[in-house]
Amino acid sequence: MKHGPRVFAATLVVATLTGCATHSSNEAAKPSCCAASEASATFTDKSLYQTESQWATDQGKHIKLGELVGRPQIVAMFFAKCQFACPIIVNDIKRIEAALTPELRKRVGFTLVSFDAKRDTPAALAAYRLTHALPADNWTLLHGEPDNVLELAALLGVKFKEDANGQFAHSNVITILNAQGEIVHQQIGLNQDIKETVRILRQLAAK
Amino acid sequence: MLKISHRIYFTSLLVSVTVACAADRSPTGMARIPDGVYRPFFLAQNDLKEVPVKAFCLDILPVTNGDFLEFVRANPRWRRSQVKRIFAEEPYLKNWAGDLDPGTNAPANVPVTHVSWFAAKTYAQWKGKRLPTVAEWEYAAAASPTRADGENDAGFKRQVLEWYSTPATPKLSAVGSGRTNFWGVHDLHGLVWEWVADFNNALVTGDARGDNGLDRQLFCGGGSQGARDVQDYPAFMRYGFRSSLKANYCVHNLGFRCAKDL
Repeated sequence: MKHGPRVFAATLVVATLTGCATHSSNEAAKPSCCAASEASATFTDKSLYQTESQWATDQGKHIKLGELVGRPQIVAMFFAKCQFACPIIVNDIKRIEAALTPELRKRVGFTLVSFDAKRDTPAALAAYRLTHALPADNWTLLHGEPDNVLELAALLGVKFKEDANGQFAHSNVITILNAQGEIVHQQIGLNQDIKETVRILRQLAAK
Repeated sequence: MLKISHRIYFTSLLVSVTVACAADRSPTGMARIPDGVYRPFFLAQNDLKEVPVKAFCLDILPVTNGDFLEFVRANPRWRRSQVKRIFAEEPYLKNWAGDLDPGTNAPANVPVTHVSWFAAKTYAQWKGKRLPTVAEWEYAAAASPTRADGENDAGFKRQVLEWYSTPATPKLSAVGSGRTNFWGVHDLHGLVWEWVADFNNALVTGDARGDNGLDRQLFCGGGSQGARDVQDYPAFMRYGFRSSLKANYCVHNLGFRCAKDL
């Protein structure tokens, strides 16, 4: 009941996007559980991009994960207020980015998704991008509703829990998705050796 | 004047909501679970000892094969032959005879099992409902047949423990065969394990440094200090079981039921 207006708004957004993308607005009238069968038809069986969830970027765009298709992605979940682990995760990803040649770097996407639906609004994420000097052309910062965050965490095998102070305890996982959105590698833990991750990424990006 | 009319308005809203949920107590309906608290079984450093749970509605019965058949009829992508592996691993609906035929191994009045979290969640959405949270499920399941808080009901605790210590039988019983609990809900214990919305909230430490320590804290003898009641084996088991799951797992005695906001 409480979610009524939000769901309604989300459906409107879906309707608008679908209307533009496919020029068939009648698809948008279907509930999300059923519209997916058509929309996801192009993604592989193991692609995360099958998910229909909606996300807001810090640059004011509304996207589905499927819009990340076409190039390998480095994906990690984090939250901006995190004091300890997340800055290290972001730094780990920067190390990975730095290990790529400028040319390969252009062929890879870097995506950070926030656990913190309440505080990490698109504006807060935009501020985070500035503070951490994350390039606008290949880094995507995503804010989503709690339900969608939970689903993405489930897809990535990430566990998390908000504590009474609004901090999140969470797994530290950096995931590589191939161009089709399938999980090909996960680097678990902080400050890990990035060699294997970089090797796989180079291979994927070179294709 | 304004103040009074507001109060009347709110009161009538409350009344109508209560009635809507209470009136829905058909065999396939939902029970209203009032405001309460969930006492987490395992407390990490910054966890609340008592988590408030807002009143909500909970399905009286687990979702059955019969219910799920309607869902796959209406949603072809959730049929066994069409489901995407990312959303449900291989054993999805494995005990069914066919895509639209549960067959003799999956009678209509028996809980649907071999379903993934994604399938359960989508079913709930399709019904205009959602999965209950761990807090909601545990709070509702803490009630014995006669008391809201079954914790002090020795007979109830023994019964629950007996179920957890009995090996799973290949054939599941029909839903609704046992006694209802204090809230009028059937089968929270004794039939199948159930998915919850935030199953992947288990097994993380109280700090943000990673989640590698807690399983040791929980299962090594000394570490069970963090557990609220070390005698509560069923809670240990549910906690351990949930934390072992992945969202696309389809397990033979794992089903679900739906919840709804008031």
